Amino acid sequence: MTDLTGSVDPAAPPGPAAGDLPEAAVRRLQSDAFSSGLTVPDFAACLDLGLEPVALVQGFCVMQWGWYGPGSGYMRGMSPYAVASGSGGGYSETYRCPHGFVSAEHRTWGQNLEQPWVEAAWTQGYSSAYARMIEEATDMGAHGVIGVVDRVGTLADTGNTEFHFLGTAVRVDGGPPPAGGVPWSTYLAGQRLTKSIEAGFMPVAVVASLASVRVWAYCMTEYLMEGQMGMGWGGYASSGPQLVDQVSKAHMAARQLARKHVREQLVGDELHGATIDVATRELSAGDEVIDCTLRGNRVRRFKDFDPIPAPRPTVRLG
Amino acid sequence: MPDLRAEMRKGAESLATAAPPSQARGITSDLSVDEALLLHAAGWEPLDLVCGVAVVSVPVGVWNWGRGAISLASDAHNAAVDQAARALRAECGKVHGHGVVGVRVDVEVRTHHIEVALVGTAVQPADGNDPRGRDAAEAMPFVSDLSARDFTLLLRAGWMPVGLAFGACFVYSPRRTAGTAMKQSTQNIELTNYTEAMYSARESAMEKMQESALEAGGEGVVEVKVTEGPMSFARHAVGFTAWGTAVKLVAEQHQFVQPQMILPLDDAVVTFEAQSLRGAGKKR
Repeated sequence: MTDLTGSVDPAAPPGPAAGDLPEAAVRRLQSDAFSSGLTVPDFAACLDLGLEPVALVQGFCVMQWGWYGPGSGYMRGMSPYAVASGSGGGYSETYRCPHGFVSAEHRTWGQNLEQPWVEAAWTQGYSSAYARMIEEATDMGAHGVIGVVDRVGTLADTGNTEFHFLGTAVRVDGGPPPAGGVPWSTYLAGQRLTKSIEAGFMPVAVVASLASVRVWAYCMTEYLMEGQMGMGWGGYASSGPQLVDQVSKAHMAARQLARKHVREQLVGDELHGATIDVATRELSAGDEVIDCTLRGNRVRRFKDFDPIPAPRPTVRLG
Repeated sequence: MPDLRAEMRKGAESLATAAPPSQARGITSDLSVDEALLLHAAGWEPLDLVCGVAVVSVPVGVWNWGRGAISLASDAHNAAVDQAARALRAECGKVHGHGVVGVRVDVEVRTHHIEVALVGTAVQPADGNDPRGRDAAEAMPFVSDLSARDFTLLLRAGWMPVGLAFGACFVYSPRRTAGTAMKQSTQNIELTNYTEAMYSARESAMEKMQESALEAGGEGVVEVKVTEGPMSFARHAVGFTAWGTAVKLVAEQHQFVQPQMILPLDDAVVTFEAQSLRGAGKKR
């Protein structure tokens, strides 16, 4: 698994390239039988669309996250301005304590900071697994991969992250090979893919991004997240609920950054069927890491959108 | 019926040559294919995936033992929903959307804060004609948790969503005195204090929801969802929430959609199962 670029020699005959995949994969892909992860209805719809299943293809990658605790240069205690400038121009917002010196433990500044190194590690793992799946499909002479399923999880008890892609490689009956010989891909299959094609949207690729925002709480955020309204003075009876501005903005930023990263991959195409997942790890009051994942189908409009007739409302008996 | 194979080949041909660099701002949407098609059939189009999040603090001591409603927690909840909806509207306004459909509502109540996250797809009429007027629609986009399917059906019936209607009420679980509990231990008896407290809290949440619908200019609320249960961190406190989409009639009168009756042939069938020997045939 050396070539992760997905590029192939168009003149090469279809079939797996020996030595570039695990031995079991080469044996499996050389078999005369095709394999597919499609359900029977999806399989039938796929044949109806002129898509010939070639093989079940997959890609895999295990990543270890680099250490970014003490001594890494990304730890709390550095100048917030130095961290911001060292973050590669990503999102950052700094909050200053309104109280002046109170004690050595008092959080005199806080910061929301995009963590590009986390995003880069995730992207590397995701892209590598995806490229390996596409490599298998390319080696089989496939034009596209449908019904893609991706999974990001923890590998057993190692604490490392594994990325796994699975999909069904297909050839388009009478269709040309895709640009650059790199197969297209989509999470869709069966009737949903058929409807998408009928509506004039051709899948280009599955796209995904992770945005990671670290919240270093300053004193006000810390107090609010602990339920203490400003320095703990005044009972709760005298002060009502308040918006926790820093954390709210961090949550918004994580989602907006994920959308921005995905949009950068669209290059004018559209994203359909997007799903957004957010995972938050609380480190202490207000201190947290917000990871937002956005994935969906990048599609290209290849014909004018024909509106379907207004659907007829029905009542189902039974 | 179009020739699907020809359409597929046409689509594949569009990818056979590399796309020219584009400066277009690609549309993003979390709608399914069905929803996108339905929306388009109704004359609307998706613009962008938008979100609104708000985290509001809950003062310390709020969940301590007490009686009656926990008004500060209810206030925090309502403030969080309100702020999140404002943020969502602001994002929708940036892309000149007239509203947000299919909003996913995630509410997390924690000891000292309540987090509300709203995610949906900003939409606009394809021809720019909004029953409310373009300027009014862009100034105050609607927020709706209705799916695109329900949204199109609502439009067809002459109604428009105006906003999310939300109500929440948190109450302390009532307690009896030890003496009363002892006396009642052998009786079949209604615990009126429990009945009244829970009944009242449910009604209060729904009342707040209806109030927020009226404030948004709605005439009613559809697709109401109700949740209830004790707080995981304070089992003596029970939370009730009710929310749905506030709607108003924009047509002169309600348009009856007159659905057609259908009898699907893939209906449930009665099949033989060994266990059915002990009783009637089981449907599946």
